[in-house]
Amino acid sequence: MNDSNTTNQHLDEITLLLYVERQLDRQIAQQVSLHTQTCDRCLTLLRALDRESRLLTRSMLEADEPLPSRIAEFHQKVKRSMHWIWGVVFGLALLGVYALYTGYIDPWVEQFEQAGFGGTNLLSLLLFQGAFWKGWQSMFTLVELVAMTSVAGFCVFLLRKYLKRGTALAVLFASMSMLLVIPRPLHAQDFHVDMKDDKHKSLEVKKDEVLHKDLYFAGSLLRIDGTVDGDVYAIAQEVDVTGTVTGDLIFLGRSTRISGHVEGNVRGFSNNISITGVVDKNVTIFNEDARIDSSGKIGHSLTAFNQILTIDGTVGRDVLAMFNEATIAGTIGGNLRAKGASLSIASSAQINGTAKFEGDKPADVASGAKLASPLQYSKLEHRSHAERGAGFYIWRIVWAAARILLGLVLISLMPIFARETMESAERYGASLGLGVLVFFGVAIASLIACITVVGLLVGVSTFFLWLIAVFSSYVVVGGVVGRWILGRTSEFWPLIGRMALGVLIVVLVVALPHIGGWIRFGVWIWGLGAISLAIYRRLQPVIAPNIPSMPGGPIGTPLPPNTTISPA
Amino acid sequence: MEPLRPGHLRVPGQTEPLDLIAQARAGDTQAWGDLYREYAPAIFRFCRRALPSKEDAEDATMEIFMKLRDKLVQYDTSRSFTAWLYKVAANHCWDILRRHKARHDKNMEDVNDLPLEAPEPNQLERLIEERTGEQVRKALDKLGARARMALVMRYYSDMSYDEIADALGVRRPFVGVVLLRARHDLRQALGEDPALAVGGSR
Repeated sequence: MNDSNTTNQHLDEITLLLYVERQLDRQIAQQVSLHTQTCDRCLTLLRALDRESRLLTRSMLEADEPLPSRIAEFHQKVKRSMHWIWGVVFGLALLGVYALYTGYIDPWVEQFEQAGFGGTNLLSLLLFQGAFWKGWQSMFTLVELVAMTSVAGFCVFLLRKYLKRGTALAVLFASMSMLLVIPRPLHAQDFHVDMKDDKHKSLEVKKDEVLHKDLYFAGSLLRIDGTVDGDVYAIAQEVDVTGTVTGDLIFLGRSTRISGHVEGNVRGFSNNISITGVVDKNVTIFNEDARIDSSGKIGHSLTAFNQILTIDGTVGRDVLAMFNEATIAGTIGGNLRAKGASLSIASSAQINGTAKFEGDKPADVASGAKLASPLQYSKLEHRSHAERGAGFYIWRIVWAAARILLGLVLISLMPIFARETMESAERYGASLGLGVLVFFGVAIASLIACITVVGLLVGVSTFFLWLIAVFSSYVVVGGVVGRWILGRTSEFWPLIGRMALGVLIVVLVVALPHIGGWIRFGVWIWGLGAISLAIYRRLQPVIAPNIPSMPGGPIGTPLPPNTTISPA
Repeated sequence: MEPLRPGHLRVPGQTEPLDLIAQARAGDTQAWGDLYREYAPAIFRFCRRALPSKEDAEDATMEIFMKLRDKLVQYDTSRSFTAWLYKVAANHCWDILRRHKARHDKNMEDVNDLPLEAPEPNQLERLIEERTGEQVRKALDKLGARARMALVMRYYSDMSYDEIADALGVRRPFVGVVLLRARHDLRQALGEDPALAVGGSR
């Protein structure tokens, strides 16, 4: 071989590396081979690169340390533990369901029924006595179809990993077909009604007019002087019913007046409501100011959450009310359960059942008031942090234990997702930012969805999932705090231990006076954001970053891998 | 145990434990355990080379196998199982490294556009002769995420340029550049004696 004195014609390093790596096409490889036969420098570099490759491979393949026992035992541990973990988890889950039912669902159902949400309303129809239990022959109503479709869709989403693609598509198309049978919601344009202006801001059902369908309305003023033979759903600044509604009146607005006749239930949120007419069934209202006038009559129960509540008229059954200030001068056919700052019962009042009041001061009961039994008064307690009793701390411990159990169940059921969530939580900015968005956005969106009939199930389901996620935020943040203290781990019980330690610390910190509330809010936001981020990442394909390229090197075309290296 | 390198197991059906895979896919925990025992050491060593600490490698190995358990149904049996396994492992490790990139890789990004000087061949030879496997492994720890990942994928698991390009998210023609730059970084890290610091990108 000749000594190379043609320095300017040396091959560059990338070409030689690609030659060593067998990435050059045959023609270029032959040129490289020829060149290295006449150029010592390039040949030496070629050999050095080849030896470097061997050194790298040898270094990487050397078994320099034994396999950690943790890795060796990982599978066995998981296998062994799963048998009884599943038993524990199943038992805890049963216990949780029982506690949830007896502690929350059953009392709420009872309360709902007392407030008139019996078997005819949508929610109870869906959840407690609807399509799940009745059998196929009765599943022909629109609501049940929608409910079943939604539930089926949700199940498909959850089980998508286990369903074959064809099956999933079949279910999807079946669901869509079922959605097609749903009639389009009726709009004001469908009726012969007078629109006050072109922008459909107000709607009037004239005195002699009868609508034989449900009425949906969104605008500034809804006035019903005639008859709506169905339900009325309204989002309006003002709702004025002087005529008749044979179904329910559901509303969201600023001001509502009912001087006519509603044969169903009245439920809604508004700034103020005045009832001077007749509601045959139940009234559930959330207002600043609510007034049942002396001529007003409610056939069944009244459930009210108000700043000021005045009952001058008649309520056929029970009254459940929370308020700042209330005056009762009319008749209550059933029991009164009231909670608020002050209550006055006028001499004209009559309460046929028991009367209980929890307030800041005893109720002012006029001497002429007719009460079936003496009013039972209890002082409303406003405890400061300094006055917290042992019960408060016991409940804190109980809740902490509940959260740890929830974490145990969640990590057992979804170990990978649990770890992904904790890792997402360590992306502080992203999780906090997304947390703020989800915390407010999802809550508002689900409430808006609940306003529409079709969206009710979706709205309620979303809201419950949101609540569960908020409750689970302690587990996520606890897990991260535990990792900060004891370090990272992927083993089950050490992970549970870290989570439990973290949850205890978080519960203690949020119990601090003054700042505890803010920290709790931060925990909700952070945990919710981490859960959302983990879900988002699961739904996204992994995107590798673009790496800046480097100019140079004859590597423009894809190269066949099996080009041979010439003997040096 | 000699690590299973996909480049050495290219013939489908001959060296792949297809029966075990089929049983594991059907939910047989015993088969899954056998697969784990067979492949976990190689995957752990891959992670050990690719990630900064032993704990990270242990965590990653277990996470990869948990992930594999879910993904096993997606495995195409007409292709190399080992190659698929390494691909999943590489994606997982790269994902971890990307999450920590701000601490380590940023510095490397700053110098990545600098031109590379060709090494002096004799100096390079001397450097290679004098360095041991242990020194190379220690030097690996000093590399940026991308450089380290590229070297491990190529020289530990024998992944092809296409597979490396796919995992790192670069176009295939630039894999050689990434590897060359990684080698320069490695030489720099190995060159404790400034005289041995050949070429270099800094």
